[in-house]
Amino acid sequence: MKKGFSAFIGVVFVALILAACSDDSGSAGNGVEIPKGATEVVMWNLFGGGDAEYMDEIVTEFNESQEAYFVNNVQQEYDEYYTKLLTSVGSGKGPDLGIAHSHVLPELVSQGLVTNIDDYAADVGLNWDEFNQNVLDVTIYDGNNYAVPIDTHPEIMFINNDLVDDAGLLNDDGTPNFEETPEGFVEFLTSLKETLPEDKMAFAFSSTGEDPYRIWWALYNQMGGEHLVSGDLDNPTYALDHEKAIAAAEYLYDLYHTHEVTPLDLADFYSDFQSGNAAVMSTGVWATGIWETTDDLNFTPMPFPNMFGQEAAWASSHTFVLPYYDDADEEAQKGAVEFMKFATDNGADWARAGHIPSKDTVLESDEFKEMPYRSEYAEVADYVKYVDRTVHARGIQDIVVRNLDTYWAGDATAEEVFAMIEQEVTDLIAE
Amino acid sequence: MIKKQWLQDLKAIPFLLPFFVAYMIFTIFPIFKGLEMSLYDWTLVRKIEFVGLENYVNMFTDQHFWRTLWNTTFFVILTTPTMVLLALGLALLSNLNTKLKIFFRGSFFIPSILSVSVISFLMIFMLQPYNGLVNNVIQMIGIDAEPKWMADQGLAWVTIVVVTLWWTVGFNMILFLAALQDIPESLYEASEIDGASRWDMFRYITLPQLIPIGRVVLLLQILASYKVFAQILLITGGGPGGATRPLIQYIYEVGFNQNNLGYAATMSYALFFILLILSIIQLKNQRSGEN
Repeated sequence: MKKGFSAFIGVVFVALILAACSDDSGSAGNGVEIPKGATEVVMWNLFGGGDAEYMDEIVTEFNESQEAYFVNNVQQEYDEYYTKLLTSVGSGKGPDLGIAHSHVLPELVSQGLVTNIDDYAADVGLNWDEFNQNVLDVTIYDGNNYAVPIDTHPEIMFINNDLVDDAGLLNDDGTPNFEETPEGFVEFLTSLKETLPEDKMAFAFSSTGEDPYRIWWALYNQMGGEHLVSGDLDNPTYALDHEKAIAAAEYLYDLYHTHEVTPLDLADFYSDFQSGNAAVMSTGVWATGIWETTDDLNFTPMPFPNMFGQEAAWASSHTFVLPYYDDADEEAQKGAVEFMKFATDNGADWARAGHIPSKDTVLESDEFKEMPYRSEYAEVADYVKYVDRTVHARGIQDIVVRNLDTYWAGDATAEEVFAMIEQEVTDLIAE
Repeated sequence: MIKKQWLQDLKAIPFLLPFFVAYMIFTIFPIFKGLEMSLYDWTLVRKIEFVGLENYVNMFTDQHFWRTLWNTTFFVILTTPTMVLLALGLALLSNLNTKLKIFFRGSFFIPSILSVSVISFLMIFMLQPYNGLVNNVIQMIGIDAEPKWMADQGLAWVTIVVVTLWWTVGFNMILFLAALQDIPESLYEASEIDGASRWDMFRYITLPQLIPIGRVVLLLQILASYKVFAQILLITGGGPGGATRPLIQYIYEVGFNQNNLGYAATMSYALFFILLILSIIQLKNQRSGEN
């Protein structure tokens, strides 16, 4: 018995040593074989779940379409992605091609971690005019393109056609029957709640985290609010319009607490909608890819209602970036930009994940128009409101989400919460 | 003879070296690097400028530092005594000569071998409102309530404390159990002859014999509780609205989301000193107790 045990320990020990010593030279360490004669372009991506496989397919298509470059697509853990990207690029050990959300670009640009793409773009024939201008704008700093937008992914709304129909609130053309006003939307949700059976909910929505924050941001912008901070990338000033911010938050608060159309603290509002137990839900466009692969879910995606005058929706964009290195391999960088062009030209493939492709030329293509659901919300790309450009974007989001959570939970008033946000954000940007 | 001893020591070096090197690189070096960082304005990517003690000065007026430090301390206050008592109780239970002895020991210890993400998601699953196991049981026994175990400020603490106790009590129980089995049987036999009751035996033999290990458990527990982070992050995310956010989560957010490693290092040092002082007090206490 004892001998068996020590033998076991010995085997485990040897295995660990072998694993630690295994040779990973010649590639990014993921065991991918680089074809002879091709320049390897190491790409890091942050996708998980549904998105990752679509990006994988685009990479495979690219690698098969030509022989000069080979994109080695390395999937990274999302939670630690930016920490890893910033530190490895900073120490010269990062990838040749990275993916970043639009709100992180200011950090990357300000710290000199990404390269201006303009020269390479001209080289490989990447035509900026083909992009949706509203989306392209998030990648331009001081007149230079520091990233290539892949998509825009706004927060939109989904309805369960069957449940809305059961409640008698579906028009003949399949659209929900309600007036796009603050009262109209409440009335719609309230009558859903009253008409549907007890075990169905009107509106499946989270009462913590990013989703309510995104709707708050959309409503704030619909009311004419424009910024949270403004001015310089590194040293912005606080610019939240408290009157509108509070009004926007109160509207959402009332949905939880006054009208009680959405139950508080749902553990998984995605599964409530997916299992057909909710008439309405709101989250990012990426859910489209999930719903359409769900059996027996009859749904329609649509923009979140524009109820307060201006059209506005929260959105972020995935973008390709070219990390900056003093001794960058120009051939690999050129290959990276070739891939950026290829991937955005084939934006319709990426649209299968639910995202809105960044190129107008793709949006107007027959291939995209023939896809189900996507065109229902593609128009949102024209009026999405990105969060303010600042190196503090991630820090500010933490602060706002945490404080709004206190308000949704009913532990503080809107005035208290926004006073706290002002203080915390001011402290953060003063550093 | 002396030379031979020297040769013996030399032989030990190759065996000690691997650990020594790893220890220097991964523990000692970061400690000093962290001290250096705390004196600089330092982002994730590079150090920007020397700021001396500015980070430390800022820390004293940073209300989030105090709030999260209090949250952590509150957690320590809640979990430490309960943990010691629970571990002792379970150890006594598993030490009884019953048929269930192995079952007790196993079932109390098994949670300890699960990773923090596993126990956290198990708990989230069981405690979720509307369709979680716990709320369904509550409603089944006729209580018409929908407690929000993770979203209510008070209940969130209850959840985190209970989860932590359930998850980590096994290890402390083993420590107590080992000490219980070290108590010489002769002491009990002698007291029995002297006519001691079972309670007397517990009060005058078992408890005093357990005091040394009790101190160890107490120290380990305080140190571990001050480092609480992962289960809170996973279960409540520090919420609702920062009500359960521990210091280490704040350090993490400042370092990696606000890109301010210098200040994050400063607060880590503050925590380090708190733990250092607590350890010194405990060790001193222990020595005076032994004398």
